[in-house]
This record gives sequence, structure tokens and C-alpha cells, in this order.
Amino acid sequence: MPPSKPQKRPKLSREGFGGQLNYFLSRAVTNIRQNLFVNVLTIGTISLAILIVSLLLLVFVNLERVTDQWSERVQVTAYFDNELTPQELHTLKSKILSLNGTGKLEYVTKAVALQRFQARMKGQDALLEGVTADILPASLEIQLKKENRTGDSLKAYVDRLAKIQGIAEIQYGDDWVRRFNKFMDFMRVVGISLGCFLLLAVVFIVANTIKLTIYSRKEELELLSLVGATRCFIKMPFLIEGIIQGAAGSILAIAMLSSLYLGFLHNAGNFISFNPGEADLVFLPLSHLSGVFCGGILLGFMGSLTSLKRFINF
Amino acid sequence: MIQLHNVFLSYQNDVTALSNINLNVAKGEFVFLTGISGAGKSTLLKLLYGALKPSRGQILIDGENIIRLPASQIPFLRRKVGVVFQDFKLLPNRTVLENVALTLEVLGWGKKDIGKKVYHVLKQMGLEHKINSTPLRLSGGEQQRVALARALVNDPKIILADEPTGNLDEESREQILGILKGANIRGSTVVVASHDKKLIGNCHRRVITLDKGHIVEGSDAAK
Ligand SMILES: Nc1ncnc2c1ncn2[C@@H]1O[C@H](COP(=O)(O)OP(=O)(O)O)[C@@H](O)[C@H]1O
Ligand SMILES: [Mg+2]
Repeated sequence: MPPSKPQKRPKLSREGFGGQLNYFLSRAVTNIRQNLFVNVLTIGTISLAILIVSLLLLVFVNLERVTDQWSERVQVTAYFDNELTPQELHTLKSKILSLNGTGKLEYVTKAVALQRFQARMKGQDALLEGVTADILPASLEIQLKKENRTGDSLKAYVDRLAKIQGIAEIQYGDDWVRRFNKFMDFMRVVGISLGCFLLLAVVFIVANTIKLTIYSRKEELELLSLVGATRCFIKMPFLIEGIIQGAAGSILAIAMLSSLYLGFLHNAGNFISFNPGEADLVFLPLSHLSGVFCGGILLGFMGSLTSLKRFINF
Repeated sequence: MIQLHNVFLSYQNDVTALSNINLNVAKGEFVFLTGISGAGKSTLLKLLYGALKPSRGQILIDGENIIRLPASQIPFLRRKVGVVFQDFKLLPNRTVLENVALTLEVLGWGKKDIGKKVYHVLKQMGLEHKINSTPLRLSGGEQQRVALARALVNDPKIILADEPTGNLDEESREQILGILKGANIRGSTVVVASHDKKLIGNCHRRVITLDKGHIVEGSDAAK
């Protein structure tokens, strides 16, 4: 056996956590620069996917808002044949207020009713002729609590209200409320299932695009493992790359969404709302925007992670 | 340093590439592994750095039984073993510096130290002027030396070289053999797979001969 000299090893200057992270980051950035085309492709795919999903989200947010506005108009009105005395009004009010679901109450005297009528008929004086406070009924306008404004619970409320004595007639937006709520329920189901379907498609497409990026660097992955890189070491730059792609993709998507919104969407709402003042579509609130951003990052990260599984199996 | 005991290996297609291999390479030794093409030289080297698992038998590297090594420990085996691959496996889109640096980056070395060490090793190989070229712009002999530099830049305990003098000219062969001998003198145990009879003949080292997956000669130092 030949003699073996003691091995002289250079002092290992191990890098700390910060140095390692720095290394992974710069590796990721270099990778992106060296594989610009595939990266642009991936970022483009991610941003397009996120744009579609966030457009859906925008529609959804606005539909919810319109539903809220509409349901505020759901109001039950109790009519009385005669003006109520303060005494009667007081007892009736307390009875109605004790009903489950009552929100605000407003008593409309015959005089007020006339004023309103006149205001509405402004400029059509001919129609107003002969209309006196006397022929208009006094009424109590009942605002319902939010959870009682829809469908069956509205109906139940009205039934309970009808049992109170002294009310001549009850009116409420029966039919159209029900139809509108049905429509909104339907829209919710469609929206959510469409969203889920889209999300699945998006994850699939993005994972495949990222697979492409990683496939083009199979050699590198293999070599790294051959020179003794741990699994974590090999994966880290790719995961960071995925996060960068996801972040870039979602920023791009949000930018596109904003310009779409500012460009023409924001006044497209005129078609779906009643009140011209509230007609504008609102933009996504900050909470949703940060959700979209985080979703993008998660998408890039998960895409990289699942694609790496295919290639690192030692 | 390297011990194989009753090792068998069959590929999926039932080709028995190695059968009943018993082998002992001591620390600091320099051995040749020879045999005609298809004898199983590359397969044997792959066993030693954990790229293949034997169908049967035991393998000890540096006192450690690598058969039962969990996947998470394989990287640490490979850090002890520098490999010069038959096909070099240089990354074409990285410079010579970056290719050689990989071995040290994996160990978590700092950038400055990597630069110094890589420069030093490349200088020993007469390649310091090519440090920023990419592998595709180098000659075969130069590429081989870069692959060699990457394998021994971290002074591994074991160096495995698969046909390191492949189809190189006389001068390059001598140079590469010199580098391997130098690494051996600095303490690495070296195994060179080669069917280059002339090269082996000039060297006067132990020669292990494989034929159809059997060791026919030189399985133990004490022969
Ligand atoms: N990946 C593989 N799959 C199946 N058979 C293989 C594979 N690699 C090598 N072999 C077979 O194993 C035997 C030994 O090959 P190898 O170790 O490459 O020989 P050498 O390096 O001595 O030329 C040959 O018969 C070869 O065909
Ligand atoms: Mg071979």
C-alpha cells in the first residue's frame, strides 16, 4: 500500500443563512436571465391566468354589491286606513319592533305622503289636481334586517306582521325580490364553479409551463445531484424562481386589470344598476388585490414544487 | 477505502453487468480498472458514487456501508467522491469558472473563497486563461481537464475517472495522468477506468481487469 500523506484541507468558509439565501437568489435571477424566453412564457401564462380569475372576481364583487344595494330597497310597508293617534302609533311600533327581523321604522303621515307624491309628480300639475292628503293612506315603512330581506324569511316576516291588528294592508316587493334572489343564487353557483374550474385549468397550465422550464435544465439538475447537492439545495433556486414568476405574473395581471378597469369597465355598470349615482363598477378592494397577489406567488411556488417532483427522485 | 463484497448488478432488462465482485482498494491507492468495452467498468464506478444500487452484495466507502444509505445521505457520499464522467457532463451555458465552482457551491463555500480556489486549481491544469470561456469553445483535452478540475477542486477522498483519456492526443493524456497522480499524492484514492493499454502499461500501478462482469485479475492489493 502506498503511503498516504495527511490531507491538507482548506479552511471551510461556510456561508451563513443570509449568504446561502443570497446565493439562491442570485442563482434564480441568473437562471431567469439565461432562460429568458421560457420565463417570459411562464410569466405570461401566469399573468393571463390570474387576469381571467381576477376579472371573474371583479364581476363577482360587483354583483354582490348590487345585490346589497337592491336588497336595501326591500322594504315592507304597512298601510292604515286612518291616521294613527300617537297612542296607537306607539303601541304598533313597539309590537312591530318586537318582531324578529325588524330594522328601522318610519311613520309616514298622510301629509308626508302627499308631499312625496307631489315631489314625484313635479311638472305634471294636472295629475295633482284633486289629490288631497285625505285620499292618501298613512303608512309605516319597515326596513328589514339584512338576513330577512330575502326569499322565505321575508315571506315569514310578512306573515307574522299580518297577524298584528290594525294594519289594513301590507305591501312588499314580493315577486321581483324572489326572482332577483334566485338569479343571484344561480349566479353565485355559476361563478364559484366557473372559478374553481378556471383555477384548476390555471394550475394545470402553469404547472406544465414550469415543467417546460425545468425540463430544459434537466442536465443541470442531474449534475448538481452528482456533485453532492442536497435536494433542498437543488430545489431552492427553482422555488425562488417560481415565486418571482408568480409575483411578476400577478403584478402584470393586476396592472392589466387596472388598465382594463380605468379604460372602460368602471362605467360599464350603468347596465346593471338602478341608481345612476351608484352605477360605476367598483375596483377590487385591497384585501382582494393582496389575495390575488399572494395567489399568484403561491401558484408559481406550487407549480415549481410539483414540477420538481418529477425530476428529483434520488 | 473502497470495499466490495459479493456484489452483483443486473439492469432492468436482465443484463447482468456485474457478478460476484470482490474488491479492496486501500486508502491512498491509485488503481486502474480495465477490460474491453461492455465489461462493466462504468457500471462499477456508478456503484461507488451511489448512482446505482447493486442487486446483491455490500459496498463500503470510507468505512460506511452505502447499500443502506437513505436517499437523503447520498449527497454526503458524493461530496467525498469526485467523479470525472465519461461524457464530461459540463454545463454548456456556464463558464469554466462556474462549472468548476459548482462542487464548492454545493458545500456552501463563500464566493470569494470559491473564486480563489477554482483559479488555483485551473492554474495547476494550465487552464487559467480559459476561466471565462464556455465549455463548447474548448478542445476535447481542455474540456476533460475542466471536468477533472470540477472533480478534484474540493480535494475529495476518492476520485473516480471514467475513460479520462478517451480519444485524446498523447500530450493531453500525459497531462491528465499527471494531474490524477498529483491528486493521488495529495492524498486522494484514485480509480481510473480505462481500456487504454499503453497508458496503463506505462504507469506501474495495480490493474483490476474486468471481463463480462467478472473480475479476472487484481481484485486485491495483496496478490
Ligand atoms: N443503463 C443500462 N441499461 C441496461 N444495460 C446497460 C446499461 N448500462 C450499461 N449496460 C450494459 O451493461 C454492460 C456493462 O456496461 P458498462 O458498464 O457501460 O461497460 P464499460 O464501461 O466497461 O464499457 C454492457 O453489457 C451494457 O450493455
Ligand atoms: Mg464505460
